[in-house]
Order: sequence, then structure tokens, then C-alpha cells
Amino acid sequence: MFILGLLQWWYGDGWARQVVVARDRVISIYDYFSVDLLAKSWFAPFRQISAGKVSGPLQAHWNAFVDRTISRFVGAFMRTILIVIGVASIVMFSTAGVVAVFLWALLPVIPFIGLALAMIGWLPWNG
Amino acid sequence: MGNSLEIIALLLLMCGVGLLVIGIPLGWLVLGVSVVPQMFHEWYVQDLRHLPSAKGEAVDAVLSGDLLGQLTKHPTPYEIATAVGRVGSGQFMGARYGLTAALLQQIASQDVAKTTELFKRANDIRAAHGAEHITGSIMLVALVRSFPDYESLIAQIHLDDSDLDAGISWEQHLRNLAKKHVQPRRTGGIARDWSFGFTPLLARFGHNISAQISAGGGTVTVDVAAHTEAVDRLIDTFSNGGRQNAVLVGKEGVGKTTIIHAFADKLLDANSKVAGNLKFRQVIILDSSALISAAPGRGELENLVMQVLSEAYSAKNIIICLDNAQLFFEEGVGAVDLTNVLQPILDAGNVRMILSMDEQRYLQISRRNSSLTNSLNRINIAPATQQETMDVLQEQIIFIELRQKVTYMHQALKEAYRLSERYVHELDMPGRAMKLAESAASYHENGLVTMNSVQQAIEKTLDVKVSVASDTQDKERLLDMENLIHKRMVNQTRAVGVVSDALRRARAGVRNQNRPIGTFLFLGPTGVGKTELSKALADVYFGGEGKLVRVDLNEYVQASDVNRLIADGADDPSSLTAQVMKQPFSVVLLDEIEKAAPEVLATLLQLLDEGILRDIKNREISFRDAIVIATSNAGADRIREYIERGYQVEQFEDQFTNELISSGQFRPEFLNRFDEIVVFRPFTKEELVQVLDMILANVNKTLEQQRVTVTVEQDAKMFLVDKGYDPRLGARPMRRVVQKAVENIVAKQMLAGSVGAGEVVHISLADVQRVYENKALAESITIENTPEKVI
Repeated sequence: MFILGLLQWWYGDGWARQVVVARDRVISIYDYFSVDLLAKSWFAPFRQISAGKVSGPLQAHWNAFVDRTISRFVGAFMRTILIVIGVASIVMFSTAGVVAVFLWALLPVIPFIGLALAMIGWLPWNG
Repeated sequence: MGNSLEIIALLLLMCGVGLLVIGIPLGWLVLGVSVVPQMFHEWYVQDLRHLPSAKGEAVDAVLSGDLLGQLTKHPTPYEIATAVGRVGSGQFMGARYGLTAALLQQIASQDVAKTTELFKRANDIRAAHGAEHITGSIMLVALVRSFPDYESLIAQIHLDDSDLDAGISWEQHLRNLAKKHVQPRRTGGIARDWSFGFTPLLARFGHNISAQISAGGGTVTVDVAAHTEAVDRLIDTFSNGGRQNAVLVGKEGVGKTTIIHAFADKLLDANSKVAGNLKFRQVIILDSSALISAAPGRGELENLVMQVLSEAYSAKNIIICLDNAQLFFEEGVGAVDLTNVLQPILDAGNVRMILSMDEQRYLQISRRNSSLTNSLNRINIAPATQQETMDVLQEQIIFIELRQKVTYMHQALKEAYRLSERYVHELDMPGRAMKLAESAASYHENGLVTMNSVQQAIEKTLDVKVSVASDTQDKERLLDMENLIHKRMVNQTRAVGVVSDALRRARAGVRNQNRPIGTFLFLGPTGVGKTELSKALADVYFGGEGKLVRVDLNEYVQASDVNRLIADGADDPSSLTAQVMKQPFSVVLLDEIEKAAPEVLATLLQLLDEGILRDIKNREISFRDAIVIATSNAGADRIREYIERGYQVEQFEDQFTNELISSGQFRPEFLNRFDEIVVFRPFTKEELVQVLDMILANVNKTLEQQRVTVTVEQDAKMFLVDKGYDPRLGARPMRRVVQKAVENIVAKQMLAGSVGAGEVVHISLADVQRVYENKALAESITIENTPEKVI
């Protein structure tokens, strides 16, 4: 009865909990890198350097345009790096989560695998 | 249990590996089996530890794990009471409400048959509170309610039945807050602010509350209806395309700054339902004093403010907040009028701005510059209700507790609300109660902030007495009040009795709290002790004659004098309202009330009725800790006439009062406002001898420093009383008589050196007669030498 209770929880609430833990971890990584924000503002000037209206001679407009372009370039570069790291992290943690959830389901079977191997008498170093 | 399972799993794992290493295939089985204790460990840690052991409809199935762990299989209510005292939620109720384990053990039954009924009661309370489990606090309330006369029991610790439910809710709320606090918070990530500008000037001249909240220093906000509504309106205002500004208008203490914090907190929460153009915006409070000190000249300051606002505009994620915005719209200490700079920006709406302002200041600015206030989106903040204030207190005092290392009792919070409502005028709720609760921390008793701590905080700051008389000395003084007063004044027993009774009622806690301690009208001729009784009362009970707030109403004979009576303390510190605001626990003496203008008397009606007088700034000044005594000479001749005709005061008092009304000297609605109208009768010669004795006692007190004593023989006293007796002037001439006949003799003897330290001056009848003969002689010489008047 006790074992049955354990198995009931293991494949019920316990398994669901593993899914939630894996999902929360991915959400937390996603939030940390804020990939959506990065994507939305991919080509926005970095930290708004030279932002705002410029008034004055043509030279001032030209300088502002150059500043802004450089700023956009810097921003795009930084964001691209972060997007790549962010996406890689998300993929990595998502995969780890899926594996963890899969392994969780396998764990109760391990004693039976152990019994089978013991009965066969197989030892790795005996070939 | 969790640890032992882990150890077993580890041992099995090591055994399995060991067996395999030495070539025994059984090691595989041992390795496989090592998973089982690990699985049980996970089950225990993630589930079993938090759940009751049984499932189903039984009450013990919903008992919280910590409580269940303390109980035997068939516990008695007594054992349950002991267990409740050992779990956190039970200890919470013990510390916060004074419902300790010792008290519970005293009232809990030892009969196991009563346990079922107790469980049922606890389960009903759990269901009523919508709680998942029967926690220690719920079980504690069930135990208390199982006691037959529990309401009388808890009344002794100043609790009622609703407080028990409040305790459960408070404990649940704090537990939920703790859970919420450990949940991960989404705040936008590392690239959140990359698209927005640098703000070095704002960092220098402002306080970034969003950064403070991100760093974990945010205030906990509660569901105060006015606050929630204001935050929603702020979000609406800034989400829509209209003017991008809002002004929070409300009295100080209503929580305007808290609302701004709550708003900033909401913007930072990625999960909140806020428009995209508002999400993760930073709220920065501008520091007016930092700006003024950095740019002392007007032009420089305007320039600096423009630069700061341009930076906010360029950064694109800043919401500027002008807390106490009047500092930016008027000249003064730490304030500067920047209307010319700010108004165009507010009108244009390029920079989002939140202003907060006191209601009065908003009206003043509105009157001065209506176009400015017209360009603002006004959000009124109403003061919190009693329940909301209690909720705020329960949540906010946790921070004070951490800082001051004290624990607040529920009774202290209730008292803070009650007393602050009455005595703290400069703030509104909930700030008003919060301020008092905070100041009570200094008066803690063994780390506990109790009702008494709050009372002490008020008593020490305002010099009032709010607690019921408890120490023996205080009680004895109250019971002996008449004798103490009679040490200073003669007879007038009825007047002394009524004021003493009023004080005793107040200090026993049986008086009406919404009126002054007592309101009395003393009628009678001059020199019979009306003012002296007021002084004696102030001296004997209120802590000295300095506690007498005296207003001579013969100086308030014009209708316009009402303004002087209720003037603001900053303009006229001698106004009645200003004096009582500074000194609420006092004797207020309204002398010669019959001479006051009718408008002045009408102003005093609310004071007499409700103990409240509004000053010129419309602030409520409480007279509820004062004894109000009005005196009048009106009808003095009539009183003498009654006495000469042989009437006792009690026989003509009512008729005399009616005569005052019918003669138009007082209006009935005015006289009706007094608790008692007391007629003072003129002194008899025998009473004047007692008055003389009191005056002589004072003379001896003055001479104490020179170590000289003066005694007057009885026949000399009678002679002096004859000389000083004047039914129209009462006891007043006696002072002159003593000065002339006694003090002069003593002074001459001391100067002549015939009296030294430690000696006694005896004054006989011959001595005083000589003084009066010399005076008569002098007067006759003066009369003889006075030339006849030429008409």
C-alpha cells in the first residue's frame, strides 16, 4: 500500500512538480536574458546616446546622425551577442528540463533493471 | 527522516558499487534498490512533510503538519493547548494577543471526551476563514471559544470576539506574504534598460525608487481601497494619450508616497497587466533641496531643472515624481517657485510627471495659478478606514519590529488607532496611527509594544493622561481631591465636588470620550473663589498653574474677535486653539463669559458640546482632555440679595439661572451646554478668617528662605477681617489688608534687625490697630491739607 502510495505520487503530483520546476527554470532564464525585449529593440540606439531632437546647422545634424548610427550599431552588436547567449541558455535549460522529467519517469524501473542484470550476472569488466 | 533516507540510499549505492568491484553481480540489485529510499526521500521532502497523514473528512485530516506532529493519538484539550503553545502560529497569537500557552492550559479541559467538540469548533473556524489547514492560531481560537465565559476572559486583556478572528487573518496574511516573497519575481532581465538613456543628473538630484524596489527594498503594499484605485488611475492616465501627468492630492499621512511606490512596483513586475509603453519605466523622485543647493541662483536653478528634465525626456523611460510638489511651486525655506519652467512641460506632456500635494497647498496654488492646476490630472486620496488602517499597521509594523527589535501586540495597534485619531492632528490615517505606533516602540516592556506603551507615548509627548488611573498614589489623589483643593480654597464645597467628580469619572474611564472631561459655569460675585478653584485644580491635578489656559473674554467683545480666538498658533500663540493644541490636558478658564460677543459664544458651543473647536485653518482642536470652566459675575447683586434674605444657594440656584435667561444675559442653548452651573455664594466673616489663614500661610512660605515665621493673634485676625470685609469684593481685599498690616510690620522689623533667622514675629491686636490708626491719622492730615476744589 505504501509503495502504491509512493508510485501514485511519483507519477502524479511528483511528476507534475518536476515539469513545473523545469518550466520555472526556463522562464527565469528567459526573463533574465529578456530575449523578447532584445529582439524588439534590436536596432535601437544603445542607451539612447545622442537621442532627442537636434537643432542647429547641418553639421550638427550630420554629427547626431553619425552618433546615432554608431549607437545603433553598438546596440545591435551587444543585443545580438546577448540574444545568442540567451537562446542557447534557454535551449540548454529546456533540454535539461525535458531529460530530468524523462529520467524521473524512469527512476522506479531502475530496481527491476538491477534485478535483471543481477540475474544475468553480467559484469562490465568481464566483457 | 529525510536525512536518514538519504544516508540509506548512499550506503546502498556504495555497497552496490563495492559488490560489483569485487565481481559479485548482486551489486546490480543493490544499486537498483538504492533508488527506492531516494524516491521516498523525494516524496517526504516535496509532499509528505507538508501534508497531514490522513485523508478524508475527519478533522485531524486537516490539521496542519506542525500541530499534528505535537499531538498524541487521543489528545485531551489540555494537551492540544500545550501543543498550540509550541507551534509558530500559536506562539504568534501568544505574543501578539497575550493568549499564551499558560493561559490556554488554565482554561483547557483535561477531559478527552471534549476533544471531538473542540476539533469540530476548530474545523468550523477553518472553514469560515477559508483556510486549508487547522493551524495553531485557529486551534487557539477554538480553545478560547470553548471556555464558557470566554468573552469576559478576553475582555480582561482588552480583546473582543472579533479580535480573535482578526488574529487568524493576520497570521494567515503574514504567512501568505512570506510565501509570496520567496516566489521568483520577473523584473525584465539584464537588457531591460539598454534601449533607454543614461541618467547621471537624475542619479545626482533624484531618488530612483524603482531601483530601490528592484534591489529588494520595496515597501509591502496592502489592499487599501483608496490606494488601489489611485494606482489604477495612475496607470490609466499614463497609458492613455492625454496629459501625461497626475497630481495626488490628500492630507499628509494618507499614503501618497506609498501609492507612488506601489505604482513603481507594479511597473517593474513583468507579470502585471500594464501597457507596454509603461512597463519597466523608472520612477524617480526629484530632491528639491539637492537642486537648490547645487544651483543657488534663480537662473542657474531653472537651467539645472531644465537639464534634468531634458535628461528624463531623452532617456525615454523616466517618470519624474515631485513629492511634496508645493516645494517646486512656491517660495520658502527649501522651496522655490519653478512654475515658469514646469508649467510648459506639464502642459506639453513630453515628460511623464507625478506630483503629490497636501490638499490645502493644492487649493492655495490653484487660487494663485488656476491654469497650472487646470493642466493637471487630479487624483484625490481619501484617508484609510479603521479596518484598512489596521491592515496597514499589521503589515508595516513588521519593518519597525525588525529595526527596533520589538514585537507589537494587537492591543497596541488598536490603541494607536484610537489615540492617534484623537491626538495626532497633523497627519491623516493611516500615517497618523503609524506615527504613534512607531513612537510607542521606545516605551516597550521586555521587547513587547503593548497598549500601555502607546498610552505612555502619547502621555509623554503631549503631557496628557489617557490611561485609566492604576497606581495607588494616583488613585488616592483622585479620591482625596476635595481635601487637596480645600488646602487652597475655602468652602464652595459644591463647586469643588462637581469638578472632583468629573476628574474621577475621567480617570476611571467611565466618562463620555467625545466631550471635554467636564464643562462648568461658575456664577457669583467677584472674590469668592471662581478663578481660584480653576487654579487650584490645575495645580493639584493637572501638574501646576501653568496648565491653566486662561482666556479673558472681556477682550472678545466684537464679532471679529472670533478670528483671534481661533487664530493659527504660528500667527498668534496666545489664541485659545493654539494654547490647547500645545497643551490638551489642561484647565481651560473662560473668564467673564458674559462680556463676550454673541458670535464668540456661538463659536464656543461646539467646544462645550463635542469637545472640538476648529481653528482658522479648519483643523480640529480637541478639548476632550480639558476641563472647561466658564466664570461670570452676571447677577452678582441678585445672589447677594438672595443670601441677605436668608436663602441657601441650593434654594435659589435654579431660579437664579432662569432669571439670567429671562433677563437676556445668557441664551438657554448656551447654558444647556454646561454639565453643571454652580452658584458661588459670598464669604461669611468666619470663612474670611480661613482665607486670612491661607494668605498668612503663603506669607510664611515666602519667608521660609529667611527662616523667619510670622504669627498673628486671633483677636488681631478678627480685627483684620473686619477691616477687609466687603461683601461686594469678597476675599479680594484680604490680600491688601495682610500686605498692609502684616507684611509691612515684618519688613520693618527685618530691616531694623530686630528679627533674625530662626525667630518668630508675633503680631498682636495692638500692632495691627496701630497700623490702622496711623493710616487714619495720615488720611486726616491729607484731607486737612487738600485745597478745596474750585467748581
